[in-house]
Amino acid sequence: MLRGADLHRDEIPPGTLYLLILKTLARSGEMHGYEIANSIQRISDDVLQVEEGSLYPALQRMLIKGWVKATWGTTAGNRRARYYQLTATGRKQLGVEMSQFERVIGAITRVIEAI
Amino acid sequence: MNWLRELTRRLGMLAHRRQFDADLQEEMRLHLELRQEEQIASGMSVADARAAARRRFGNVQRIEERSREAWQWPTLESIWADVRYALRQLRKSPAFAITVILTIALGIGANTAIFTLVHAILMKSLPVADPKSLYRIGDKDDCCLTDGLQNENGDFDLFSYRFYQQLRESTPEFAQLAAMQAEQNPMSVRHGNTALAEQTEFVSGNYFSTLGVGAFAGRPLTDGDDTVGATPAVVMSYQAWRADFSSDASVVGTTFYLQSQPVTVVGIAPPAFFGDRINANPPAFWIPLSAQPLLNPANPLLDQPAICWLYALGRVGPGASVGPLQEKISAILRQWISTQDAYTTIAGSTLAQRLHVVLTPGGAGIQNLQQKTGKGLYLLLAISGLVLLVACANVANLLLARATKRKVETSIRMALGAAQRRLIRQMLTESLLLGCLGGLAGLAVAYSGTRVILALAFPDSPHSAIQATPSLSVIAFVLLVSLLNGMVFGIVPTWITSHGEPAEALRGASRSGSDRVSLPQKSLIVFQAALSVLLLVVAGLLTRSLQNMEHQDLGVQTTNRYVLHLDPAGAGYQPEKLNALYEALERQFSAIPGVQTSGLALYSPLDGGHWGFDVAIPGRPEPRPNQNCESLLNRVTPNFLETLGQTIIRGRGFTANDTANSQSVAVVNRAFVKKFFPNEDPIGRHFGSYDKEDIGAYEIVGIVADAKYTAPRDEAQPMYFRPLSQWQYELKDPVSVAIEAQSHYITAIMMQFRGQPQNLDASVRRALGNVDPNLTIIDLHSFDYQVTGNFNQERLIARLATLFGFLTLLLASVGLYGSTSYQVTRRTNEIGLRMALGANRNRVVALVMRGAFTQVALGLALGIPIALIAAHYIADQLYAVKSYDPLSLAVAILVLSAATALAGFIPARRAASIDPIRVLRNQ
Repeated sequence: MLRGADLHRDEIPPGTLYLLILKTLARSGEMHGYEIANSIQRISDDVLQVEEGSLYPALQRMLIKGWVKATWGTTAGNRRARYYQLTATGRKQLGVEMSQFERVIGAITRVIEAI
Repeated sequence: MNWLRELTRRLGMLAHRRQFDADLQEEMRLHLELRQEEQIASGMSVADARAAARRRFGNVQRIEERSREAWQWPTLESIWADVRYALRQLRKSPAFAITVILTIALGIGANTAIFTLVHAILMKSLPVADPKSLYRIGDKDDCCLTDGLQNENGDFDLFSYRFYQQLRESTPEFAQLAAMQAEQNPMSVRHGNTALAEQTEFVSGNYFSTLGVGAFAGRPLTDGDDTVGATPAVVMSYQAWRADFSSDASVVGTTFYLQSQPVTVVGIAPPAFFGDRINANPPAFWIPLSAQPLLNPANPLLDQPAICWLYALGRVGPGASVGPLQEKISAILRQWISTQDAYTTIAGSTLAQRLHVVLTPGGAGIQNLQQKTGKGLYLLLAISGLVLLVACANVANLLLARATKRKVETSIRMALGAAQRRLIRQMLTESLLLGCLGGLAGLAVAYSGTRVILALAFPDSPHSAIQATPSLSVIAFVLLVSLLNGMVFGIVPTWITSHGEPAEALRGASRSGSDRVSLPQKSLIVFQAALSVLLLVVAGLLTRSLQNMEHQDLGVQTTNRYVLHLDPAGAGYQPEKLNALYEALERQFSAIPGVQTSGLALYSPLDGGHWGFDVAIPGRPEPRPNQNCESLLNRVTPNFLETLGQTIIRGRGFTANDTANSQSVAVVNRAFVKKFFPNEDPIGRHFGSYDKEDIGAYEIVGIVADAKYTAPRDEAQPMYFRPLSQWQYELKDPVSVAIEAQSHYITAIMMQFRGQPQNLDASVRRALGNVDPNLTIIDLHSFDYQVTGNFNQERLIARLATLFGFLTLLLASVGLYGSTSYQVTRRTNEIGLRMALGANRNRVVALVMRGAFTQVALGLALGIPIALIAAHYIADQLYAVKSYDPLSLAVAILVLSAATALAGFIPARRAASIDPIRVLRNQ
């Protein structure tokens, strides 16, 4: 038995994981890792699936670069979780990533439409 | 500044590593649990839900690893892997590795050895408290006993005891002002059964407190010790205490006999303390100034306002500034001189107005050795720096060639997807490793090198204050240089090759396409050739200068001659006992088996001693204030000149008939005649040397050939000889009386043997013992040893320069050989093709040789002008060689050409043996 969801899930394009995380955080303020993963999946209508684990190295790198900051808090189910939040640098970076993404997508679209 | 903040965050992470791991694990566990719960809620079994959550999450361990990597630099493991890889690569080409390591070792070793010396001699402060606030009154290396007026510009740097006392009272700007004897003398020392000669120095009582030096055992000298009367208190050096008195703590507080006078050793100086100046033979005893008359009764100096024999070193108090202080002391000096009877001769002269002192930083003490050796040492440092440059060029060349050889390998790895950064890191690891290994080997070279250099430069110096161990800072410097070396010369070739187009390299490794390395390689060879010729020319000049100096006619014979130095005052002889002593010594020494002749003298040629007097000739006008009337004096026994081989040209030498009761006589040398009697016959003429006290007292009875007694670089100085047996009892002025007495104390006995002497040491000891067991040997050497000892530093510098010159030549040749071989390999196809088209082997050899010689010729064109300029700068280090010396230049060019021919011929022959058929088949 094939399940529909499995059929249509695609790996996210390389290099866009930062963009997705940044955008998700920008939209929702504070989130922990599980919420970020779910959010990306839900908003993309289950098309984009993050290999959930890879979220964490990405978050570490973003912490190093100072794009996000993390604080420990409690979830609705009263469990300890690390909440991530955009910093000012992160907000700026979101702009950079967005314009870069648009440039690439635009270019790809033009190539495809030319053919 | 983003990277800075990033660095801080990374460092913060390193500091809280455990916390970080715990956080990450908790976070990931939460994620898995939440996912699992969600699956269970959608109806899965617990086991399935867990499996699904894990599947979606990915490999937990790997993700943890990746998260950690995000924070860290390449882990130790991966660096270690690089190092192991580099070691494996080096083991695969041992010839390359050894050549590079040896090259770096020699370059760095030579440099470090010389730098260690420069550091030890020129840059070290005295091991005393706060050396920065010490200032010396004076800036020259004038010495021993003068009237202070030795410098025509009025620079005053030697002081009498009286003036020192005056200065201490009138300069409160000095928190403390110490005085110390300019000359350091050996004295005979007796303690229990031990009798030996030790170096000593008279110092003021506040010497140790001025320097801020305490005592290792007992106590240092104090002002209280510097008073006439009581048994003098002295301080012994730690080195002498350890070497000569076996570190026996019980000697402190006991009585020693210095020059047969009892003194009390009150303390041992700290181990690191060697006195107020760096030299090879530092004092073993520091004695208060007040004891000078007691230990040298023939020549008491304390009450002599015009006998200058002290240096002054003081600690400037807070708030005092040096400029005004210097002016103040100069003014005090001029004022004081004008009140002294002894200086009435210069009253009102321009010299009297010009008198001044110069204050110099005294943190390094009295810098006589520094002034003497500074230029030579800096010359050596410059030379060794050039050697290092050449070595670096060579290493760069070798690495370039290696990188080129590995171009294919690199290209394949890049084509297979190796990151450029990773490749660079690996190659850099390799060159850094080479740099470090070379640096370590260099340290070993430096360590042994410095010891050898010191032993050559300062022989017979068991207690030398010049420490040759490379200090920590030197070692750090070396390692830094090696790392830089590895980095700079690793990164360039790595960069060049890792930028190659993999596809191009793979297409045809042996094909000559664009060649990125041959221009830098050739430039390096030109550079090396230029430096080689420079160093060879400098080495040639210094060697020729040394040869001229060693083989010059000194005017004396050295074969089978031996010199004994001794000190009758040390054995307690008073002036009236000297005549009898000398007769006994002459008898005993001429009776030593094998001795042909022997003679006694105030000093012997080139042993460091000299006495100068102003000569006055009756009937001549008063000399002008600046007119030089100086001549050397030596007092000798009748056989002395003959023993030396200094021949009497006219008239007669001294005989046994020249006694205290006969006419005072003198024998003068040619230079004396030239200076004082240029157009007259001097025989029978009279002159005197104690101003108005002995006008025309001595009659010239003979003329002797010139001989160099003081400076081997200068012309023989005017000199007159007087018999030891004659005394001028008519002198009244206490200074004259003291000098007359002192000039009768011999320091040297010269012996000429018929052949090689047997048991020299024992015979001399027996002869001395027969006369008086209290007479001790200060030293006993062959005359040749004493003479050549004057050239120790020149010889050392010339030999090191030659060594460095050939080292450079060797390195340059290796470099040329390597680059020519590389060119031959690269041009194999071209050469094969030429041969297939009819070029014969000779033309191929010529082709390759032409390439090598072109580079060297360019190097010569660059190097010869530089060498000529450099030669001009070292002209004052040369003796009897002009700085433009065609011979040195020709030899340098010849040697370099020969080396080029050799280094070029081997690859050229290989090129000529290329088989055209095989080359064509390979095409």
